[in-house]
Amino acid sequence: MLSEFISYGFVQRGLLAGSLVAVVCAVLGVFLVLKRLSLIGDGLSHVCLTGVALGLLTQTSPLYMSVPVVVLSSLGILKVMDKIKVYGDAAIGIVSAAGLALGIMITAFAGGFNADLFGFLFGSILTVGKTEVFLCAVLLVSLLLFLLVFYRDLIAASFDEAFAHTRGINVKRLNMALILFTSVAVVLAFKVVGIFLISALIILPPVTALLVAKTFKQVLIWAAVVAVLSVWSGVYLSFVFNIPSGATIILVNLLFLLIGFVYSKLVSLQDKKEEKDVD
Amino acid sequence: MSSAVEIKNLSFRYTHNWVLENISANVKAGDYVGVIGPNGGGKTTLLKLILGLEKGKGKVKLFGTDVARFSDWKKVGYLAQKSPVAQTRFPISVEEVVLMGLCYDVKHKEATAENLKQVYRALSQTHTLDLAKRIFGHLSVGQQQRVLLARALVSKPQLLILDEPSAALDVDSRDLFFGLLGELNKKHGVTILLITHDTSEVGKYISKFMYIDKELVFFGDKEQFCQSKKVAEKLGSFAQHTIDHLHNQGHCPLGCNCEHEHTHHRAQHGAEALHAK
Repeated sequence: MLSEFISYGFVQRGLLAGSLVAVVCAVLGVFLVLKRLSLIGDGLSHVCLTGVALGLLTQTSPLYMSVPVVVLSSLGILKVMDKIKVYGDAAIGIVSAAGLALGIMITAFAGGFNADLFGFLFGSILTVGKTEVFLCAVLLVSLLLFLLVFYRDLIAASFDEAFAHTRGINVKRLNMALILFTSVAVVLAFKVVGIFLISALIILPPVTALLVAKTFKQVLIWAAVVAVLSVWSGVYLSFVFNIPSGATIILVNLLFLLIGFVYSKLVSLQDKKEEKDVD
Repeated sequence: MSSAVEIKNLSFRYTHNWVLENISANVKAGDYVGVIGPNGGGKTTLLKLILGLEKGKGKVKLFGTDVARFSDWKKVGYLAQKSPVAQTRFPISVEEVVLMGLCYDVKHKEATAENLKQVYRALSQTHTLDLAKRIFGHLSVGQQQRVLLARALVSKPQLLILDEPSAALDVDSRDLFFGLLGELNKKHGVTILLITHDTSEVGKYISKFMYIDKELVFFGDKEQFCQSKKVAEKLGSFAQHTIDHLHNQGHCPLGCNCEHEHTHHRAQHGAEALHAK
């Protein structure tokens, strides 16, 4: 059954695009979770609704329409944080609510989009085209290059923004780059898991990785591995049991999180036991 | 002597409230300045402005260069009031945290043996060598603070900016901490700007006081601090405990050999004058 499943072109495209975007989300998610900005995925995914609704309304590609809408919104979040001096979660909440409200308003104005909109809300990984696969690959390569150049700066800025500034690191620009990458990733991910579940792809693999890994590099690798495994097993299970792929990917991710949690508890118990033995 | 920090007509406000107004001061290289004042007086904001973390009205220069264009951060060490990491799961070791202090030098490459030598020297200075391989988030707040001091020291800075660094330390660690700062200032000429409420502890090391209460109330040698009329007025209104120190210890803990009784009376007089207003 597995070989039959893999032999379909649309499945191959879905798995490839899903894996690429899942790795992007997981790697970005590590920094966002540590900077307590992980809900930005949730906020920006809600803004996607405005882009998708605008795309459907104007009969242009919802994907291409969403990119500028989400990128502008992400810059809006940074501006709100900087100018109105509110915490990240409040800024995300403001932009998210605005995006969602605007999307619903456009949908109502157009008299609803029925099935089209449903696909974007809950994901349809098996309808991913070659262009989307290419875009996902470009995004991943760009992100890896960005990481290669700014790896230490990103760690320093995630750990302590103020101190990073006193080492000559341009923290504002780094944050902007991270959030712009996230915006594009969110747009490319909404076909994989759907608008409502994108944030899980950004949060769950990094949190699982933080439970099991000991170094920063290990966290990045574990997050990427968990993300890819969840996409592959999620898509396969959805194919076998004829269930929604997006939701299955997230449930598999939750299962990995549970395993990670149990593992971290066992390790912690073992450490305590060793400490007692030493005493 | 050259200037380490020059502040000219510096003001700052959050929305409508002025936090600092028209501050001017010149911290010379080699000075050890205790920055004191009441809570909410703007001390932390002043340090943030000096470091360029906030932008205010007026000028701040570090080693003669406007802070907005300053790039020689190797010369500056900074230790904030609170540990930056609330989550214990941040996957970073103590060694890596201290290495961050050199990250202008090891940005795109692995740390060299020389870098690691510098890290271990700084850890040894702060008595945290045994913690090098531990995860930073697993340490106690006091241990974290000592590691962060090592991070501030690792680049052998010429200027140290410290915001109430001793708050989380126990008495022994506090003595070691202030002793180390005193040694860095005396032996190596490191300029130190230190926010503290612990004037009795740190008074013996400090050469100057900067008293901030939205405005610059006093900036000068510690010997002149207790003679300042403006300080006496302000002390009467906010820091009775400092006066108590002056009283109870039998000698001026600020080290100025002033007649504490006299100072106390002037402070009282200042308080009465303020009440009368």
